[in-house]
Amino acid sequence: MDDWSPLWLSLRVATLATALSGVVGVGLAYLLAKGRFPGRGVLEAILTIPIVLPPTVLGYYLLVTLGANSPIGRAWEDLVGAPLVFTPTAAVLAASISALPFVVRTGRAAFEDVDARLEAAIRVAGHPEWRVALLVTLPMARRGLLAGVALGFARALGDFGATVMVAGNIPGRTQTLPIAVYDAVQAGADDVARTGALVLAAIAVVVLLGVTHLSDRRR
Amino acid sequence: MTRPERTSGPRPRGRRRAGALATVVALVVLAACGGASTPAATSAATPQPNATVERITVAAASDLRPAFEELGAHFEAETGTAVTFSFGSSGQLREQIVNGAPFDLFASANVAFVDDVIEAGRGDEETKADYALGRIVLWASDPERVPASVDGLVDEQYRRIAIANPEHAPYGLAAKQALESAGIYGAVADRLVYGENISDTFRIAESGNADVAIVALSLAVADGRRYATIPDGLHEPLHQALVVTSSGDQGAAAAAFAAFVTSPAGRRVMVRYGFTLPGEPEPQS
Repeated sequence: MDDWSPLWLSLRVATLATALSGVVGVGLAYLLAKGRFPGRGVLEAILTIPIVLPPTVLGYYLLVTLGANSPIGRAWEDLVGAPLVFTPTAAVLAASISALPFVVRTGRAAFEDVDARLEAAIRVAGHPEWRVALLVTLPMARRGLLAGVALGFARALGDFGATVMVAGNIPGRTQTLPIAVYDAVQAGADDVARTGALVLAAIAVVVLLGVTHLSDRRR
Repeated sequence: MTRPERTSGPRPRGRRRAGALATVVALVVLAACGGASTPAATSAATPQPNATVERITVAAASDLRPAFEELGAHFEAETGTAVTFSFGSSGQLREQIVNGAPFDLFASANVAFVDDVIEAGRGDEETKADYALGRIVLWASDPERVPASVDGLVDEQYRRIAIANPEHAPYGLAAKQALESAGIYGAVADRLVYGENISDTFRIAESGNADVAIVALSLAVADGRRYATIPDGLHEPLHQALVVTSSGDQGAAAAAFAAFVTSPAGRRVMVRYGFTLPGEPEPQS
């Protein structure tokens, strides 16, 4: 493989998407784990949808929401001077939404596993709820949260369907490694496809080993 | 087109706009972090008159892959402008361009999709030009199994016949029309498998997942194995047309590439891959 730009683009897109879905996802996970409010079940269902929807359907909805003919797409074009879709930014958004449910679901379970007696002890000492979260809940849940973020990264790196719909297949700009593999297969460039597939599989294995390590409770 | 002002009151509309604006602000921040790696975007945003355009991006029908990759390399050597291609089915590329994809040139396998792009205000009608008549051929990875004519496809040995998706791939539509004209569409319909675009279709047959395929002449020529040309009277002519889809220096560079494709030097390459214009000799199988 001569051109490694799809790998670098993929790593950049997945990293930004992980940062975005990590911050938003951990916040939402905390809300779902600790909050008692009407519509919690509905919110959780909505946040899980990206796992079960076909990525192309997700991409289609994103295209409709962010496309040049949508209110958001038009406002963006007025502000930035260029359309939002079919840019690296659109690829980051698609990957973020694909990754979000993994962060939320794993993070929620991690928050719920935190021993409530420890939190109560700090609370009794007179600390406000945000201090309780910062001093006890987050540190106690950090392994689970990291596992969720790692899963989100793997998912973001691997996204094909949503990304290709909303960011297209433009070499050097939006052609991430999974899309480059698809393109190489179509072009009959089997060696490129093989190398790209191997790299993606290797990264996935490494991330999953990391997740397993983080989830191992005996450590 | 009327805007939805009459149906919705001023308040919800304002709120919706504020919501959209907030989203956009968040996205701009995101772009600021993510956009550093887009030389094409920055050079497009700040046009410098008479400066050499570094790179153009061309959306091209996938039947053009072998020919255009060769032409792109020639063009870069001659002008210093690199050409990046995004290959797909013409219908998919039309959707992307209408939705604002940042392509400089659209080379379609069917003039109708070029007209759609112009109608949507994304293409410069002045630059619309025919560059080839597309031809379809019968192809099989095993040269012994290429049928002599479309009628041969009814033979039971062809359990899977690959064509491109006629919904959005012009070569797939031409293949379907040829099967219908030959009067065998009903007989083979449940043996058809659809490729996403014409190079996908070619790969389905090449990998042995279909026994035979109807593909673009250009792909069969590029591969070099045996094929059987399907008479062009069996389908609507595949008027392949292109249009410039950007403006300024980028648009001018895209127009230069389009002119290169139709120049004598460009025509020689195109004809070699079977993209003839009326009156030009066809390559021999």
